[in-house]
Amino acid sequence: MHEESLIRTLLSQVEDIAALNNAVAVELIEVEVGPLSGVEPLLLQDAFERLKEGSAWPNAQLSVQQIGLDVLCKYCQRESQLRDFRFVCSHCDSAELQILRGDNCRLLNVKLQVNNSCV
Amino acid sequence: METRTVAVNQYILAEKKRRAVEQRDNFTQQNTFVVNLVSSPGAGKTSLLQATARFWKDQFRVAVLVGDLATDRDAERLRPYVPVEQLTTGGACHLELSLVQQGLSRLPRQTYDFLFIENIGNLVCPASHDLGEHIRVVFLSTTEGDDKPGKYPKMFRTSQALVITKSDLLPYVPFSVEAAIADARLIQPEIHPVLTSATKDEGIKDWCRYLENAREATLRAASQTGAG
Repeated sequence: MHEESLIRTLLSQVEDIAALNNAVAVELIEVEVGPLSGVEPLLLQDAFERLKEGSAWPNAQLSVQQIGLDVLCKYCQRESQLRDFRFVCSHCDSAELQILRGDNCRLLNVKLQVNNSCV
Repeated sequence: METRTVAVNQYILAEKKRRAVEQRDNFTQQNTFVVNLVSSPGAGKTSLLQATARFWKDQFRVAVLVGDLATDRDAERLRPYVPVEQLTTGGACHLELSLVQQGLSRLPRQTYDFLFIENIGNLVCPASHDLGEHIRVVFLSTTEGDDKPGKYPKMFRTSQALVITKSDLLPYVPFSVEAAIADARLIQPEIHPVLTSATKDEGIKDWCRYLENAREATLRAASQTGAG
């Protein structure tokens, strides 16, 4: 359910990008999801397959890349990757951490087919 | 015909986030402190809001937007106390900013000191949606078990306060308040815990004082930076 709402937002973003580039087709949409993005990659893929049918680009493919949860320690200023959502710096055990990557869902690239004559 | 790859590198929810930040600034300018209440179904959000309204009486101007999949039962429970609007989502598992803004437009036009948004009972999806609130408060009832925080890391990580409800049932359930708080702090070390019972009026004063202080701190910070 929640993944569907995310895919709807994604598809409308892709539509804008396609229009801006005078694309005749969207081939591939690459997204990145982190462990704390609240999104399950398999369900995201399922939602995409369902919703792309009714979209302007029914042949588009979705590639979901999973990344880790990277944090910066505010105490020792070093980066580490968290495991099992234990919010502790792997270098100094401090719990004062800032999340750098992995708490979101990001649109990376869109691969389009464009008509040369239109550009 | 050629293939072109457009590098976007943007959060999918970036535009929604931008609108939420704008809405939050609006609330701040009106001195309205907004609290997003999240929990599993039946944790006691509505009962605690009733107790909150009773405690404050006429001390603060309070309004509530309450989300449910169907019916206006929660709104009916709150209507004797405060202006309230029911947001029914049909089947959707979480509230989004657009629904909140619709509800806002139906509330009586006046300035509120506090606006509570009672989210859909669900510890997963609401975690991903910024509703323009100042703080997110996660509720956990003593009947649910003290091992919940670790199972829903995103919700607990993105919450500023943890309200443990139904403290009056502690003698009858295997729930350790200390264990629940410790588990939540592994994910969010700065989470502020409050232990409450809406039926026995326990912890309501602590909860209300916490909200009053949080509101003051937010408005003070905004006036200092000139953003408010």
